[in-house]
Amino acid sequence: MHNKITSITIITALTFSYIKNSSANDQLTDNTPKLTALTHANLMIEPGEVLENATLVIKNNKIIEIIKDNKVPQHAFVIDLSGYTIYPGFIDPFTNYAIDFKYPKIETSPPIYEIKRIGGNAENGAIHSEKEWFNFVYPNNEKALDWVNNGFTSVQSSNLDGIFRGRGVTLSLADKRANDIIYHARANHFVAFDKGSSPQDYPSSLMGSIALIRQTLSDAKWYKENKHKSFAKTQNTLVEFNAALAGLGTIENDPLLFDTRNLNNQLRAAKLIKEHKLDASLLGNGKEYARIDELKTFPFELILPLNFPEAPKVGDSDNEREVSLATMRHWERAPGNLKVVSDAEIPFALTQHGIKPERFWPRLRQAINYGLTEEAALAALTTDAAAIAGIDEISGRLKPGFMADLVIAKGNIFQDGEIHSVWLQGEETQLINRNTSLLNQNIQLQIGALTLDLELDNTSQENLSGALSSGEQQLPLSNLDYQDRRLTFSADMTPAGFDGINRFTLWFDKQGVHGRMLDKQGAVTSLAGITTDNLSSADQATTEQAPNYISTLTSPNVAYGKEIAAQAENLHISNATIWTSDKQGVLSNSDLIVSRGEIKRIGQNLSTPSGYTFIDATGKHLTAGIVDEHSHIAINGGINEGTDAITSEVRVGDIINPDDIGIYRALSGGVTTAQILHGSANPIGGQAQVIQMKWGESASSLKYQQAKPSIKFALGENVKQSNWGDKFTRRFPQSRMGVKSLFNEAFNEAQAYQSALDNYQDLRGSEKRRRVAPQPNYRLEAIAEVLAQERDVHIHSYVQSEILMFLRLAEAYQFKVGTFTHILEGYKVADEMAAHGASASTFSDWWAYKFEVYDAIPQNTCLMQNKGVLTSINSDDFEMQRRLNQEAAKSIMYCDMSPEDAWNMITINPAIQLGVDEYLGSITEGKQADIVLWDHSPLSVYAQVQAAWIEGKRYFDRKTDREMQQKVSVERAALIQKILAEQNSDKSLPPGEVIDEIDEPEWHCDTHYDVWRQGGAI
Amino acid sequence: MKKITVLNQVSSSTLTLSVLVCSALSSTAFAHDMVPATAQSSSIIFKNATVHTVIDGVKHNTNLLIQDGVIKAIGPEISAPEAQIFDASNKHIYPGLIALDTSMGLVEVEMMRPSNDSYDIGLSNPQLEAITAFNPDSEIIPTVRVNGITHAQVVPQGERLAGQSALVSMDSWTIEDALVPSTMGFHLYWPKQGALPQDEKKREKQLKQHRKDLKQLATIFEEGYRYSLASKAKKLSKQDIRWQSMLPLYRGDAQLFVHANRQKQIEEAVSLAKQYGFKLVIVGGYDAWRLGELLNEIEAKVIYTKTLSLPMRKDEPLEMSFKIPALLKQANIPFALGFTSDWNSRNLPLAAGQTVAYGLSKEDALQSITLDAAKILGAESMGALAPGYAANLVISGGDILDPMMTKIEKVYIDGREVDLNNRQQQLYQKYLKR
Repeated sequence: MHNKITSITIITALTFSYIKNSSANDQLTDNTPKLTALTHANLMIEPGEVLENATLVIKNNKIIEIIKDNKVPQHAFVIDLSGYTIYPGFIDPFTNYAIDFKYPKIETSPPIYEIKRIGGNAENGAIHSEKEWFNFVYPNNEKALDWVNNGFTSVQSSNLDGIFRGRGVTLSLADKRANDIIYHARANHFVAFDKGSSPQDYPSSLMGSIALIRQTLSDAKWYKENKHKSFAKTQNTLVEFNAALAGLGTIENDPLLFDTRNLNNQLRAAKLIKEHKLDASLLGNGKEYARIDELKTFPFELILPLNFPEAPKVGDSDNEREVSLATMRHWERAPGNLKVVSDAEIPFALTQHGIKPERFWPRLRQAINYGLTEEAALAALTTDAAAIAGIDEISGRLKPGFMADLVIAKGNIFQDGEIHSVWLQGEETQLINRNTSLLNQNIQLQIGALTLDLELDNTSQENLSGALSSGEQQLPLSNLDYQDRRLTFSADMTPAGFDGINRFTLWFDKQGVHGRMLDKQGAVTSLAGITTDNLSSADQATTEQAPNYISTLTSPNVAYGKEIAAQAENLHISNATIWTSDKQGVLSNSDLIVSRGEIKRIGQNLSTPSGYTFIDATGKHLTAGIVDEHSHIAINGGINEGTDAITSEVRVGDIINPDDIGIYRALSGGVTTAQILHGSANPIGGQAQVIQMKWGESASSLKYQQAKPSIKFALGENVKQSNWGDKFTRRFPQSRMGVKSLFNEAFNEAQAYQSALDNYQDLRGSEKRRRVAPQPNYRLEAIAEVLAQERDVHIHSYVQSEILMFLRLAEAYQFKVGTFTHILEGYKVADEMAAHGASASTFSDWWAYKFEVYDAIPQNTCLMQNKGVLTSINSDDFEMQRRLNQEAAKSIMYCDMSPEDAWNMITINPAIQLGVDEYLGSITEGKQADIVLWDHSPLSVYAQVQAAWIEGKRYFDRKTDREMQQKVSVERAALIQKILAEQNSDKSLPPGEVIDEIDEPEWHCDTHYDVWRQGGAI
Repeated sequence: MKKITVLNQVSSSTLTLSVLVCSALSSTAFAHDMVPATAQSSSIIFKNATVHTVIDGVKHNTNLLIQDGVIKAIGPEISAPEAQIFDASNKHIYPGLIALDTSMGLVEVEMMRPSNDSYDIGLSNPQLEAITAFNPDSEIIPTVRVNGITHAQVVPQGERLAGQSALVSMDSWTIEDALVPSTMGFHLYWPKQGALPQDEKKREKQLKQHRKDLKQLATIFEEGYRYSLASKAKKLSKQDIRWQSMLPLYRGDAQLFVHANRQKQIEEAVSLAKQYGFKLVIVGGYDAWRLGELLNEIEAKVIYTKTLSLPMRKDEPLEMSFKIPALLKQANIPFALGFTSDWNSRNLPLAAGQTVAYGLSKEDALQSITLDAAKILGAESMGALAPGYAANLVISGGDILDPMMTKIEKVYIDGREVDLNNRQQQLYQKYLKR
C-alpha cells in the first residue's frame, strides 16, 4: 500500500495546476445556463450509502437531483464520469483560513497587570468574544489549495488567538467574493486555555485560564440579565458597556469549539463545558486512545488532527535513555487512534490543523490500515464535520438542495484512489486533468513503416520519463512534457534509421494518438498511434494486516502505569507491629482485618475469614498511609497563578495530572494522601485540592471528596517579591506592612460582597427583577468562604511578626486560622498559636536558604508540639515526599520527640489539618483502609515500603514494582528495535510530526512559570 | 494486646536535659558563635565502646585511647595512667564524617547575594581557591558538625573550570588553621547535554553548542599544557596566573574533579583525562556505574552526590538514585558519597543510611562517608579508627546512619573536644524559656 500512496502524491504534484473555470466578462451579465449532469458515476450519498452508476444533476451552485437510471435532462451539459466516484466535499472545522488579523502589539514592558480598555473590550487581554470573524474574511485562492487539493470544499475559520477567541465562520473554499463563500456567519465560539498574544500577565497558569473562563461565562450571564436594568432611573450606577460579554449572550444555544493541545487539557475542557451545561466540540491531540473510556463519558464531538509523531531519536544510545517509554508507545499507537475513537462511538471530524497538507491523505490511509473503517472516515470528513461547523443542512451529503460541493475521484480514495477534481459551489477545480490518465496506456506509434511502442512512466516525482522501443531495442526519451492532451519529447532516432535527434509532438484523443516528428533537417513526418488498455495501478492493490502492537497500554499510559486497575482486597494482615496513630499507640503482634475498603478489626490471633487474602506480617510494621499537608505534585500548567496579588478564584482541583509519576513515587514512600497547594507567589493564592495517590485512575478519582475546602495564603519574602528580580517592584505589597493591609482590604471587600449578595437575596421577586444584581465574583466568593469558616486557610509563613499579625487579623475578622504551613519560627509564638487554635505544618530541618529562614531550628516541632500546637511535617518537594518518614524521625534526633508523636506528625496530625481525620490518618476501626506495610520500623532510614493500600486497593507493591521494572526495560528494548527497523525500511510514509514534549518542572512554592510563554505545548 | 514502650523520651526529660545544657552554656551566654576547642592536653580512654573502625570491622566492648590528637591504641586491654576515662558503655564510636562537594563557609544564606561566595564567572578560573573565601565563623558549620561531620571539602562552583577545592576542619579560628592537607583538586563543571530535541533545527543548535563547549574546553586544557611544557623547559617569559596554578595538574600532583552525571559527559571527561594523564574524580556520577571498565582503566574515582534525588529519567526504577552506590560497588569503582549543599550537608549520614535498604552494607555505607572520602581527597590518616589515625571521633548513643537512633554526644577533631552548641540549639534553649 505504501507504493500506492506514493503514486498518488506524485501524480498530484506532477500535474499540479489549479484549473479554474474562468469567470464571465465582468461587464456583461452571465446568463450561461448552468445545468450539469455528472453521469454514470458512483455516488457516495452519505457514509454507508452508495449509488452505483447514477447521475448527479447540478444547477448553478446546488445539487438539484440524483437520477438512478442516468436518464439525463436533455438540456443538461453532460460529463460522463464512468469509472469515477463522487463524494460529498470534505469539511475541516478547525482552521484560520481567510482570516487576516493580528492584535496590535503593546509596547509596555512586563509585568503588565492591566490592559487598555478600548471600545467595549473585555478587561482581560485574552478575551475577544466580541469578535465575529466573518467580518475579517478575505478569500485567499492560493491558501485555499491547501485544503482543496485534499478534497475539502469548506472550512470553519477563526482567528486562533486568545482564550475566548471570538465567533468562527464557516466558509466555502470557492474562489469567490467573501459574501458568496460565507455559509454560516456565526458558527462556533472558539475557546482555548492558551492566552495567546495577550500582553497581560494574568493568567500565567492553566488554572488561571480555567478560572478566567469560569468568571467570564458567569459575567456574561450576569451582563445579559442586568445590563438593561442599569439604564433605569432608579439605578444609581450604569453597568459598563462590554461588547465581549455581550458577545457571549447566547452562549447557551451556541456550541463552542475548544482548542486543547493535550489529553489532560481536553478532558479538563470537557469537564468545564459540562459544568456549565454548554455544548462543544473539542480539538483533539492524537492521544485520545490513552483515556478513551473517560472521554466517552462526555457528549462532545472531537476534531482530530493526524499528527502522528516522528520516530523518537533512539539511534544514539545515550539519547535513547532520555526518551520516555510513553513517547515510544505513542509513536507506535498514534496511527491507531482514530480507530479507537471510532470504536468508542465518539463522533469526530478530521482537521489538517498542525500538519502539512500533503501529509493528510497518507496519514488517513495509514489510520485505515490501522483499522479505521472507510465509512467512519467518510463520516468524519463529511457529515460529522458538517454538523460541527453548523452546515449540515447544506453540506456533507449528496442530496438535492445541498451545495454542489463535491469530490470526484478515481478508485477508492481511502485505499489507492486519486482525487481528480473538486467542485466548489458547482464549479470544478481539476486537480488531475482527466486527460492525464491518457498517459497510462499502451501506445503503439506508427512512424512511416516503423511500429514502435511508446512507454511512458509518470510515477517519478519530478519528471515524466519514457522510451520508444521495438523488441529489445530501447530509445530513451528526453525533454518530455505533457500539458492537456499534448505530449512533446525528443529522442535520438539514429538506431531506428532516422538521422539525429528528432522532436515529437503528439495529441491524445478518444480515438488514439496523432502528431508529428520533426527531424534533424526540419522535415516533418506525420505520426499516428493506437492505444490499448491502460497499465495503471491495478496490480498494486494489497491489503495490509492490522498492526501488531508491541507496546502495552496502561493507565496512565507511561512507564509503571497500571495494566489492570487496582482492585479492593479483603485482607487479613497477621502478626504485625501496628502503629495505630490513635490512642492505642503501637501494638505488637497484632492482626488487622480489611473488608470492603475499610478497617474492620484490630486484634490478636484473629482467624482469616474465608476468601480473604492472608498476609503474614511477622517482623513487619503496619501504619496508616502518610498524609502530606503541603505538596505540589500531580498538576499541570503552573503551581502559581501569582500574577495578581489576589487569585483566590483559581483552583488546583482544575489541574490535577493523573499521569504524574510523582504519584507513584509518593506511594512508594508510603504517602497515600496529599494536599496539593497553590504556590506562595502572592498573598492570596488559589484553592487547594486534597488528592489520594490512586495511581492509574482519572483526575477526578484522585480528588478526595471528603476533604474540607481550603485555600493557600502566603506571607513574607515570596509574596512581597523579594527574590523575583528588579522588574518586580511595582505590585503592591512590597513589605510585610503592605501584606497586612492587603489582607485587610481583601477581607473588607469580601465582606461587602457577601452582604451585597445577602441584601439582594432578601429582596422581593419584583424588586429583584428591577435591581441590578451584584456581579458574581469567584475571587471574593472564596475569601468570603474563609470569613464564614467554610474554607480553611493554609498560610505559608516563616517569621514571628507575620504569624502574630495574621493571627490577630483573623481574630479581628472572627475566623480561625487552619494551618500555618512552613512556619519555621512557629516555636517563637507557639503560645499564641495554641491559644488561637491554629495548627502548624513545618519542615524538619530546612533553614538558611533565604533570610526569613535564618532563625529556623530543627527543634521547632518539639517546641510547638509541647506548647499544644498540633504539628505536622510536610514535604513541599517531589523527592522528600517519598521520605517523609525519615523527616519525621529527625525530631527524635533533634529534640527527643517520642516515636509515636513523630509518626503522628505525618499521619493523624496532617489528617486533622486537612479535616479528613474522621475518615483516615490512623489505623482505627471504621476508617478507610489506607495502610502501609513496612519491613522495618517506619521511622528508620532502613525501612522500605512493601505495599500501600488506599481504601483496601493495593496501589503499590514492591514485588510488582520489581516486575514492572523488568517489563519496562523489555518493552523499551522491543520498541527501540521496532523504531530502528522501521526507520530503515519504510520510506514511503510522510515524515512524522516533531513533537518536543515540554517537560514541566518539578513544582515548588516559588516556581514562577508563565505556562503560555513556554512554547505552547500545554 | 501489649503496648510497646518505645524509647520514651517524654517532654519532662527533654526539659531536664535542656536545663543542663543551659547551665553549661551560661558562660558563653548566646554567643554569636562557638569558641574553637583548644589542643588536646591530656589523653583520653574511651571504655567499653562499640568501635566502628571502618578499616578493621566493628569492635564491641573495646577501649580506644587518644593522645596528642592521634589515636594511640584500640583494644580490650589498654591502659594509660594519665588518661581521663570516658565510660562509653552502650555507645558507638565512629570516625568523623567527611562531607564532600559542599559550599560550607562559602554561603551563609543562599538567596542573599552578599553572603554567597560560591560562584564566579568565566570559563577558565583554575586559579580560584575556595579556601580564600571560607568563613570559619559561618553559623552553618556548628549545625553540621553536631551531626558528626568533622571535615568538609569546600568546592567552588562555576561555569566550567571553577577553581580549587579545600579540605577544612569544622572547628577553626582562621582559614589557615581550618585547612587540612589533601591532594590539590581542580573542579571542572562538564558541559551539560540533555535530551536531544526532536526538532531538527533545535537539535542542530544544541549539538553545535555542545561541540563549541567541548572545543572551548579542549582549548583551555591545551593552553594549560603549552604553558606546562614551556614551564618545564624553563622558557616562560611571563606568568599566566591561570596556567601557572594548573602546573601541578599536568605534573600529576593534583586531581581533576569533573562534575558530570550522564554517561556521555563522563566518557568525554575520561577522554580528556586520558589525553593528559590526569587523575580523575567524577563528581555527581549518576551514570558512572555503567562505566566500570573505562573508569578503572585510568583509576578514576567517583563522588556520588545524588542519593537523595529523584531518578534522573522518568522510566528509571523508583529507587535508582538510592541503589547507585551499590551498583558502583558492584562495578568495583572506588567511590564516596557526597551531598552537594551547604546547610543540608548535615544530612550526609542520612544519605548514607538510605543506601542500605538498597544494596549497600552498613559498613560500606559508613566507609563511603569516612575512609573512602578521605582517600579520594588524598587526606592521610583520616576517616578510620586505627592507631596513627587522627583522633576525629564521634560518640553516639546509637546508629549514626539512622536518625531515629542517632544520639551524638561528643565530637572530637584532632583530639579536641568540639563545642556541640550552635545557633539553632541556642535559639531552642532561648525559647524553651519562654
